[in-house]
Amino acid sequence: MKIRALLLLAVGMAFFFGAGFFQPAAAEELHIFVGAGLRQPVDHLVKAFEGQTGHRVFIDYGGSGHLLARIKASGKGDLFVPGALFYIEKLEKEGKIRSYRSIVQHTPVIGVNTAQAGRLTTFDDLAKPGIRLAMGDPKAMAFGRTAMAICEKSGQKKAILKNVTVYGATVKQLALYVSQGAVDAAIIGRSDAFQNREKITIVPIPPDYFQAEIIAAAVLQSASNPDLAGQLADYLSTKKAGAVFQKYGFLPLQK
Amino acid sequence: MRYVCLVPTGLLVLLIVGVLAGLFIHLSLSQALVTLASAETCFALRLTLLTSGAATIIAVLLGVPAGHFLARQTFKGKILIDTLIDLPMTMTPLVAGVGLLFLLGNDAVRHSLDCLGIELLFTPWGAVLAQVLIVAPIMTRTSRAAFTAMDSRYEQAAQTLGLKPGQVFLRVSLPMARPVILSGVVLCWARAVGEFGATLMVAGATRFRTETLPIAVYLNISSGELGIALVCAWLLIMTGFLVLLAMRWIGTPISTDQSLLSIGP
Repeated sequence: MKIRALLLLAVGMAFFFGAGFFQPAAAEELHIFVGAGLRQPVDHLVKAFEGQTGHRVFIDYGGSGHLLARIKASGKGDLFVPGALFYIEKLEKEGKIRSYRSIVQHTPVIGVNTAQAGRLTTFDDLAKPGIRLAMGDPKAMAFGRTAMAICEKSGQKKAILKNVTVYGATVKQLALYVSQGAVDAAIIGRSDAFQNREKITIVPIPPDYFQAEIIAAAVLQSASNPDLAGQLADYLSTKKAGAVFQKYGFLPLQK
Repeated sequence: MRYVCLVPTGLLVLLIVGVLAGLFIHLSLSQALVTLASAETCFALRLTLLTSGAATIIAVLLGVPAGHFLARQTFKGKILIDTLIDLPMTMTPLVAGVGLLFLLGNDAVRHSLDCLGIELLFTPWGAVLAQVLIVAPIMTRTSRAAFTAMDSRYEQAAQTLGLKPGQVFLRVSLPMARPVILSGVVLCWARAVGEFGATLMVAGATRFRTETLPIAVYLNISSGELGIALVCAWLLIMTGFLVLLAMRWIGTPISTDQSLLSIGP
């Protein structure tokens, strides 16, 4: 009885631990980290890439800062596509990037709850008393940093920050707050507002207040197959891919 | 059999120790001390203790009577109510939080709350509400189990001896159910301390306003400040450790009451 139980346990453990080693060696696999705000176009494009090449791509979505921390801690992964170039530059300084290609612009806009669109028509309205704003945490997310820089540049930072009722950790959280009417407006990505266009009205930010963020795909130093990762990065930066991004509200790179 | 069980036990212990070691290795002592004294960590700790404390008190005020009601009364649709109260326990807290956000963001609800001068969304009270939604069902479940396990003849005897129903509850039922309810309180509090998903949605992640320890961990991991994140993580782990110790401690001195509880017909 004792021996049988032991044997059973041994077989069970062999299966449990062995499973990882005995996976069928088929097509190559890629593991990529992508900013949560880029989900729709990247899902679309990666599916097409898998169809064309027969390789498998596993996508890990999350806030760019969160992903950065995970890349650093795990030392794994093939490709990184964050919401701003800033995160790639941070890794580049540590020698963890092989190369990167720029894809599209990530333009900040004011997303206004459609019911409040009459009260908020220009950037200056953000400073009006009684307006409820949501803002990204400036340290934790790409558009939090950008939004803070924009407020600074506008010279109305104090009045605008006074209206902020809540800070969020991802741009999707901010878009949810605006679309649900929990706040009147937030500085979010053009694509986030565009994808909720029934409930969120876009109010542009004066162009001299900001520099658009650039979305790029970076091949990580840890890539197990750098050529294949590079191939996917190339694919994401083609004109055809750019058109898919534009379908979801992103703007093309300025020449 | 002893040796067969030894291997899984060892593996489990190894896994847990490995996780703790992983969290510990990345933290230097000097950095930990500086971070512990930082205003952000102190704020997060204080807010966590306050919100989880308030949430636990509210959960007890709601859950214990509800548990007693469900244990003693039979009515039509009881199964439905019973299941409904359990439901938040199976919900991902994030889902519960989005639900609360939709509820509180609803125009009618918002206007009536505004008229009463109650501000919940994006305030520490929002965090308390989110935690109550998650922990009150645990309290209800625990107290219900406590009251169900109790022999109702004690209550009947007290009533025939002339105590009013309210007095029976306070002087007989509650003291007899105390050990189980106390462990429920500790569990609720521990769960409230670690609550993240619902709080993030309802209260937001505003530094120095709604930044509880779990939110501080998340924010600081996102902004690459691993030091603060790890110190906050350790504060959470230590809280959990103390809570579990407290539960064992609660278990011992009142074992006599427990034996009383187990007397059946």
